[in-house]
Formats: sequence, C-alpha cells, structure tokens
Amino acid sequence: MKKRLYVPHPGHFGGLKELISEAGKDIYSIFMAGSPDYVGTGRSNLSSPQIEDIREQTEYAHKNGVAVEIVLNSSCLGGRQLTPEGFNLIHWYLGQLDSCGVDTIVVADPYLVEIIARDFEMLPVVSVLSFVDSPEKAKFYEDLGAHSIVVDPDVHRHFDVLHAIRDAVDCELKLLVNEGCLYQCPFRYAHFNFFSHAFGPQPRPNVLDDYYYDRCIMLRIKDPKLITVSPWIRPEDIKEYADITDVFKIGGRTHYVNWILNCVSAYTDESYDGNLMDLLDCPKALKDLYYISNRDFDGAIDHWKNCPTICANCGFCRELTDRAVKVYAGGGTENEELVLWSEMVGKTKVSA
Amino acid sequence: MITKEILQIRSDIENNLRKMLARAVMVTELDVFALPCGCSGITVNVRGLELDDIEVFEEQMLSFFKEVASRLEIPSSFIFARLVPGSSVVAAINWRVLCDRCYPEFAIASGKTPRPDIYIMHFERRGQKGKGKKR
Repeated sequence: MKKRLYVPHPGHFGGLKELISEAGKDIYSIFMAGSPDYVGTGRSNLSSPQIEDIREQTEYAHKNGVAVEIVLNSSCLGGRQLTPEGFNLIHWYLGQLDSCGVDTIVVADPYLVEIIARDFEMLPVVSVLSFVDSPEKAKFYEDLGAHSIVVDPDVHRHFDVLHAIRDAVDCELKLLVNEGCLYQCPFRYAHFNFFSHAFGPQPRPNVLDDYYYDRCIMLRIKDPKLITVSPWIRPEDIKEYADITDVFKIGGRTHYVNWILNCVSAYTDESYDGNLMDLLDCPKALKDLYYISNRDFDGAIDHWKNCPTICANCGFCRELTDRAVKVYAGGGTENEELVLWSEMVGKTKVSA
Repeated sequence: MITKEILQIRSDIENNLRKMLARAVMVTELDVFALPCGCSGITVNVRGLELDDIEVFEEQMLSFFKEVASRLEIPSSFIFARLVPGSSVVAAINWRVLCDRCYPEFAIASGKTPRPDIYIMHFERRGQKGKGKKR
C-alpha cells in the first residue's frame, strides 16, 4: 500500500542523521518535540532542541526529502496562552519555528490551531490529545483551519465512525498506529495534563512516582486482555484503513533510534515477525514481561472491523489473550522461559 | 559474581510473588544503593503489586524478604514498601540499613505508615534485634 509515514525523532541531530541514513526513503516526515520552555508536549522529552538546532535539522531533513513536524501538544497550557505575555511568548516561538522552515505543527489546543492557521506558513495538525472521535469534532477543527487531524485511537476499531469522519472533512486524517494506550483510558486526561506541566514551561512539579502510569501498568499486568483490546493497528492491518487515509504516524519519540527503525521497517513492509510488544510505544515497561507473537493476531482485524466493543457479550479478545500472551519467567537468568499467561494465573477455561 | 547473583535474586523475587499471588507481577529493577547520609541497602522496583496483597501475605512475604537480605548479606533490620503517595500502588520494596542520623526518624514514629508513601513491614529497634516488627 502506498502510504506516508510520520516517524518519531528523539530530537538530537545524531538521531536524525541515523534515521535518514537508515530509512530516509521510507520516511515522509519526522516529528519531534520543541523546547518545553515555551509549550510542553504529551510525552516526556529525551531532548529539547533549541531554535537554531531545529533550523539546522530542518535544513538537513529537507535536503534529504523529509518533512519536519514539531509537536507542541500540551493538553493544558494553564491559561497562560490567554494572557498577553503568554500569547506574545508563544506567538514569538511559533514565528521562530516558522522561520526555521518547519512544515507542520501538532497542537492540542483549538486556540493554537486557529492562530497557526491564520498567522503562519507552517500548517496546523490537530493532536491525538484533542480527542477527535466524531465527525462533528473533526468538522469543528477543519473549520478552525486544521490541515490534518490525528484521530483519537479509541475509534481505530470503530470503522463506522472512521468512515463518518472521513466523509465529514476534506482535510488530511492521520492514524497513530502503535500508541498502545488503554482503550477508553480513565487516566488519559489527567495523565496528559500532568505531562503537560511536568514537561512544559516552569514551574514543573517535582513528582517521584507517576500514579497514572503505575496504575495503568498494574492493570495490564493483572490482565493483559487490556493490551489486546487496546486500539493499536498491526503493520499487516494498515491496508484495511486504505479508504480512510494513507497517512500513518508511528508513536515513540521517547525511544532509542534502533527501536524506531524497527517500527519503521515493520510498518513499511506491513509485516512483522516477532513480539508485538516491540512495536507498542506506551507500555514499553512490559516488553520484558510479555511475549505476544504478532502472528497470533493474524485475522483478528476481521472480527474487530465488526466489533460492537461490548466485551461482556463477546469473549473474542479474552480467548485471544489466553491463547497468545506468554510471560517471561526467570528473566535474565539461565533458566529464562516463556509461560502461557493463562496457565500462570491458573485459568482452566476460557471465559469472557 | 555479584551481577549474576542479583539477576537470580531479581528473578526469584518475581517468581515468589507470582506464586504467592497466582498472577503476573513484574520486578522491573533491583538496585543496590548507598546514600551520602550513611544509609544503604537494596531496592526492588515492582509493578503489579498492591498494598492489599502485602497486607494479606505479609507474613509469607516478610519471611522471603528476610531470606533475600540474607543472600545479599544485608541486615534485614528495616523492610518497607514504598507506595505511590496516597494510593494502594506499591512502587518498590526496600531493605534499608539506617544510618544513625536517619534511624531516629523512624524510631520515634508510630504505626505502619508513618508517611503516606511508606508501609513498614519490619522494623528492628536498636537493642531489640529479632524481637519483631513495628506495631
């Protein structure tokens, strides 16, 4: 399938050079965070490139035929953007990014979508953290000036909603294929608001433990069905979305370059033989706990395309989880082995 | 070799907790630490464990945790769970050998949760070695 891939970039020039030299022909655009001193993002930062660094990297990417996207998708700006000082600072920063030749800017705040569409050459992209999960919301953002919308992954397996969004707007739609967050995550708003401040402008909260992350990981350790139900898109399945879009975004700008390259290869080839956990961005802490053969999910999309997501009436994902999820035991020792999760927890029969 | 031993102990703690709870638990990291104040010990970062689990299996866990301390030749004078403050999420298990400066902080406190992020499983008052845990 002919497609455009947006690929995460940790932010350092060495990483960009490696991404382009190893996979430049497969990358339509890279995306990276800007400086958290102006606007935060929805993720932690491995680096915070300054304006001159972004200018240099943008020139290099363009010379190699790769577009550049900067992510400023803080879900909470603390109201600062609405003060004269805050507006002037953010507007100045956006102007600097524009002068660097940046192609697109990802933002979550509708206010910033409108400003960017009105005042700058670079194009506004509506973040996944704007939670666009309906044709009405998509139309709202398009009318505001959005060039592109990253659709809320919660509707990735609701093909009726995806088609309705496609029919409602003419702008580009982008699907974030490997986020791996909980379906209908109860922590999502609070967690990204926390991130916005923890990795945004000063003052930043000094927090030792991230409750939302730890609770999320615990839920998935207690029941890996939550990983099965999570709305990621397998490399093999992106062709099923061909009549929605040809633009796909790989999440993972807090990962190392070799991890990113592995994902680029998988989604370019639309095929992956290995642990599904290698591809998922969010629960990376669990890749040393679970081995889930990607091949065991062959054909599952046929069910999900028509799934009403009323799990209590179904049991498909429960059965798939019980059959496919293996747990590392004795990790790091000579006796390391894989144990079927359903055997470890003593399940004797499959239930919904 | 110490690295081989701590890899084995990390795995043993994980397996022991899994058997006890009959579900997956993950020990994401085992660290040996030494602090500038003089405290030292080991920390096991854990995911998938809740305070309820500790309360129900405290006796069995404590017995095993003392064995772990013994294998690493660390006195098991102070063993506690570190919680995400105010929640039931267990972030880590700590075996801490308190220095003279830090010891009084815990010795004068009462109860098992002197701070919202600490659940004390075992605390030996000095001069009372082996006489049991803090009540």
